[in-house]
Amino acid sequence: MSQDAPRVGIVLVSHSVRLAEGTADLAGQVSGGTVRVLAAGGTEDGGLGTSAEKVARAVADAETGAGVLVLPDLGSAVLTVRAMLAEMGGLAEMGGPDEMGRLEDTPGARVVLADAPFVEGAVAATVTAAAGADLKAVATAAEEAWHARKL
Amino acid sequence: MPASSESITLTGDLHARPAGALAVTAGRFAATVSVTAGTKTADAKSVLGVMGLGATSGQVLTVSADGPDAAEAVSALIAIIGEATRVGG
Repeated sequence: MSQDAPRVGIVLVSHSVRLAEGTADLAGQVSGGTVRVLAAGGTEDGGLGTSAEKVARAVADAETGAGVLVLPDLGSAVLTVRAMLAEMGGLAEMGGPDEMGRLEDTPGARVVLADAPFVEGAVAATVTAAAGADLKAVATAAEEAWHARKL
Repeated sequence: MPASSESITLTGDLHARPAGALAVTAGRFAATVSVTAGTKTADAKSVLGVMGLGATSGQVLTVSADGPDAAEAVSALIAIIGEATRVGG
């Protein structure tokens, strides 16, 4: 794996501008700053909520040729992400523990929505992307965060 | 498959940033790599696992690798751990 090869980009979708930005900052620092981690938090006017337009812009900015992993903070953010991905027309692949197999069914999927704890998943995914892993490995690292104990 | 192992005494606590540096470096090798502190062992490629070790200054950390580039992985990680734990954070 070349040091200069494109890295998987990460998009953090939160109901809160500050939660998305703070988590992106943390994940970027822990991983050494070589991965694009984009925050898509809050509504268009900065209030609590989610914005399909913000998510779409972040996904576009996060893509450098290796695909993009999207992580939602709460279940209701999933609705916004799904709507946005549907509009992008077949580029998307939904995640979730039972649906990861669908990645194989959609060759060329460039955006994966993963089901993971927000902070741990963001850090694990970004670190894995920084090591040069592919989109599936990055999504898997995020989802494995469910099993990581802190104590 | 060649196996390799080496230990280092931590000069600082294994906080988030050193754990991240360790996992990013480990992830670049084909070998399976683990880190052990006390009774806990973690996959070196898992930043959450490495942080979960709760390794502190003065503890001995053992890096073990198995695979084609095991020796390179161990020496790279020992160097990273020595450097990163001095920075802290």
